[in-house]
Amino acid sequence: MRAARTAYPLKWRIMDALEGVAAAIWPARFRRATPYLMLLPAVLLVGLLVLGLIQIADASLRTLDTTTFQFSDDYSIANFRRALTEPLFLVVAQRSLIAALIVTAVTLVFAFPYAYLMVRTRSPGLRKFLLIALFLPFFIGQVVRAYGWLIILGNQGMVNEALGLVGVAPMRLIYNYPAVLFGLVQYMLPFAVLMLAPALTAIPEELEAAAGSLGANWVRTFIHVVLPLARPGFIGAGVVVLTLSLTDFAVPAILGGGSHDFIANAIYDQFFRTSDQGLGATLALMLVALGSILVGLVFALFGAGTLAMGRSRA
Amino acid sequence: MKRFKPTLSHLSRRTFLQATAALGGASALGLRGAYAQEPEKPAEIIVRAWGGSWVDSLKAGVSDSFTKMTGIAVRHDLTEDNEIQPKVWAAVAQNRVPPIHINWDTTTNATKSALRGVTEDLSDLPNLANVTDLAKPAGLEGFPIVNTYGYVYVLAYRPAAFPDGPPKSWKDLLDPKFKGRLAFYNDGIGFHFPAQVAGGGKLEDIPGNMQPAWDFITKMKAQQPLLGEDPDFTTWFQNGEIDAACTISTNAREARKNGVKIEWVVPEEGAKFDTDGLWIPKGLPENELYWAKQYINHALTKEAQQVWLDGLGLPGVVPGLTPPKDLVGDPSYPTTEADFQRLIRISSKIQVENESEWFSKFKAIMQG
Repeated sequence: MRAARTAYPLKWRIMDALEGVAAAIWPARFRRATPYLMLLPAVLLVGLLVLGLIQIADASLRTLDTTTFQFSDDYSIANFRRALTEPLFLVVAQRSLIAALIVTAVTLVFAFPYAYLMVRTRSPGLRKFLLIALFLPFFIGQVVRAYGWLIILGNQGMVNEALGLVGVAPMRLIYNYPAVLFGLVQYMLPFAVLMLAPALTAIPEELEAAAGSLGANWVRTFIHVVLPLARPGFIGAGVVVLTLSLTDFAVPAILGGGSHDFIANAIYDQFFRTSDQGLGATLALMLVALGSILVGLVFALFGAGTLAMGRSRA
Repeated sequence: MKRFKPTLSHLSRRTFLQATAALGGASALGLRGAYAQEPEKPAEIIVRAWGGSWVDSLKAGVSDSFTKMTGIAVRHDLTEDNEIQPKVWAAVAQNRVPPIHINWDTTTNATKSALRGVTEDLSDLPNLANVTDLAKPAGLEGFPIVNTYGYVYVLAYRPAAFPDGPPKSWKDLLDPKFKGRLAFYNDGIGFHFPAQVAGGGKLEDIPGNMQPAWDFITKMKAQQPLLGEDPDFTTWFQNGEIDAACTISTNAREARKNGVKIEWVVPEEGAKFDTDGLWIPKGLPENELYWAKQYINHALTKEAQQVWLDGLGLPGVVPGLTPPKDLVGDPSYPTTEADFQRLIRISSKIQVENESEWFSKFKAIMQG
């Protein structure tokens, strides 16, 4: 008996028991459904999101009665009509969209050399430094960072004080559209670098060396080898930066001085300032639609980026 | 002898009124032992408040003395008034206990909640017998809100930026030298009505024809003003970002207390006068409702008002309050009929019904 126990240790017995339990809960005949089981949590999460969107859609079709501050029982498209005809919302939507496009372009331009150097450098010290500099901002929230810029760029901030030393009068560096774009680029840069770095890591260095040995200078190598191969990273980073910028709230609120609102700020105003949740829900739906259309366009024009969807099978 | 102690389910309106009256009398006489028939005390009550000097003043004037009197701790919830509103509305709609016991709110915002039917009636507070007409919310039945003080949206300015003397008119702000050096609330609150007058219109035309206001605000837009909330004004003055602002006098006074050289005036076109108040959301357990009412009742005592409003520098709703020394004769602390004649007061009902449109119009101009 003792020999048999040694031959079949306790932990094996436990594993057998666990396997038995697992087989009872999920019999072998269900095995083909196992991948779908794995998908279930994600589907549930997306389902919750969809439920929220359905509620928002329902609210968007109800109008506010300002004599009772209750919402109508009937459905109407009055909120959509307001959202599409009132100049305020068109101005804010246009501003958000243009800012998102500018911020995406500038961020990608700045992020690429950073990511390239971080991936290709032979110096472990430099790589660590770049990684720390990249992750440090993540430990500081967006709002704190935006307030940091107020301190640095304000009328009595460090920059204006430095300018004062050389006789330049204080100038307004914040509370304008460029300040909002600057704040967003600074906020988005780490996201873009993080999305670009894996794509650049996947490019074999030998390809660049081969291009060089065939006579290509670094510009041609960059244009004809690195850029095309880094496209999935650019697209992934671009989509992330574009959608985050389009929907940003804090940076326009803090660095815009109140007169450079984005769509998210207009949504906040409707929900919390005028108590018109119907109109706020309408604007939120339209923002979701705008973001989805933009992402769809990017995917349609350039492919799915790091998702690598649609890649031909070898 | 067994004393009668009303349970929650047996707390009738009669009993409540008796207890309230007893408490009112007791607090007036300083008799702490008169809580014989009081309902069970909660460990704390939660009062939503604005931060900074606002909550400090409330704590010093009302909350601390309430805690001393009753033993009930007061927690101040600094959630923005606009943000707590949908939470309270949702709680009442879903028959949940609301997240706060008392909301310290603008009368306009509070009126929205009253119109929606989420406020408790406060008509039976004993200390309402001693308040001025200012405490009564205009255009509403009973006391769904109790106004606790008034305030003025003054023209605050840095004297150094006005070497020829204080500004006399809102139009003075159109001087090109103030481009980028002005500030208003980001929804224009406080400025709509003086702008109507400064733009050549009449107050009687509000809300029917406010084109003069929009025209004047459009002119002001060319000055590229900053737009913000209460704390922004104090910060902007302190950091030298602005020379003048339309803001509640309390914010200007706070900046002055912090060492900023700042003054304020009520310009010739007038300045908006408004009120803030306290209200209780529906859905509280009866004992907590009772003590929340006692808090508001206490806030209406002369002693509490004096300390609270000394901190804010605002006129209260109890007769006989003494203005803070620095505000005697100040236009932001109106006490006489003549003082009030220089101020613009529009009913909460008109404001509530049109506020959304006004905010949108102001935003459309400023964001354009």
